[in-house]
Amino acid sequence: MLSLTIFIILALLALVSASVMIYVKQPINAALSFIVTLLSIAGLFALLGGGFLFLVQIIIYAGAVITLILFIIMFLNIKDENLPVEPFKVRWIIAMTLLVAPFSAILISTVHSMNFKPLYLENFGSIKDIGMELFTEWVLPFEMVSILLLIALIGVVILAKREEEHA
Amino acid sequence: MLNIEHFFILGILLFSIGIVGMVSRRNIFIMYMSIELMLNAVNLILVALSHHYADLNGQVMAIMIIAIAAAEASIFLALFVMLFKNARSLDANFFELLKQEKHND
Repeated sequence: MLSLTIFIILALLALVSASVMIYVKQPINAALSFIVTLLSIAGLFALLGGGFLFLVQIIIYAGAVITLILFIIMFLNIKDENLPVEPFKVRWIIAMTLLVAPFSAILISTVHSMNFKPLYLENFGSIKDIGMELFTEWVLPFEMVSILLLIALIGVVILAKREEEHA
Repeated sequence: MLNIEHFFILGILLFSIGIVGMVSRRNIFIMYMSIELMLNAVNLILVALSHHYADLNGQVMAIMIIAIAAAEASIFLALFVMLFKNARSLDANFFELLKQEKHND
């Protein structure tokens, strides 16, 4: 019963802060609200026994990606006249919600009809198990991700450098 | 009692919020964060399934998605800096440079 209470609190936090994130005008408020979503999702990972994913989510998402976004937003020195004028924002959001809601309802009813057993929350998925899995079965994807990160690094450097040549 | 169905429903709702934000907003930062929100919703469903079947492959897949999202973040933000230096705007409608030559300055 305690786990259900924790789940409801974290789920409400995630849903409310995600809704705030797509509604607010200033990107910095959206980023700060998105941090709350990411931290509650990290809490849900911990609830599901993914201790390593909890750490990775906090360190990489909340610690690196969102900090990078906040840094770029401050670095660009965004004024109000740089923001897009969105006079029909509320109308767009309501229309898209009405459009997406039937698909979500279909998905939710499909999941509901599958009759899953209740979860018994135990501690599985320690860091050692994940490491064994990652370095035995997932070695090739792991190395390919490292190459992908290297390519992203080179791409970012080239993008930044080309901008300097123009100026 | 807590069920895996709750996690599925939460993931579906977060993914829908991400789609709504991606389509209805024009601020490129908020569009980017909506994409990240959709990736997180998928991660949540993967971890829930991994717990349900007591199979660690779902968690390893979620780690791969997080690594790819980090690479994506660096490219996106470098692009945003370049676009903002050229156009002085965060409006997604402004960046139609591949469409025709009418916005070419």
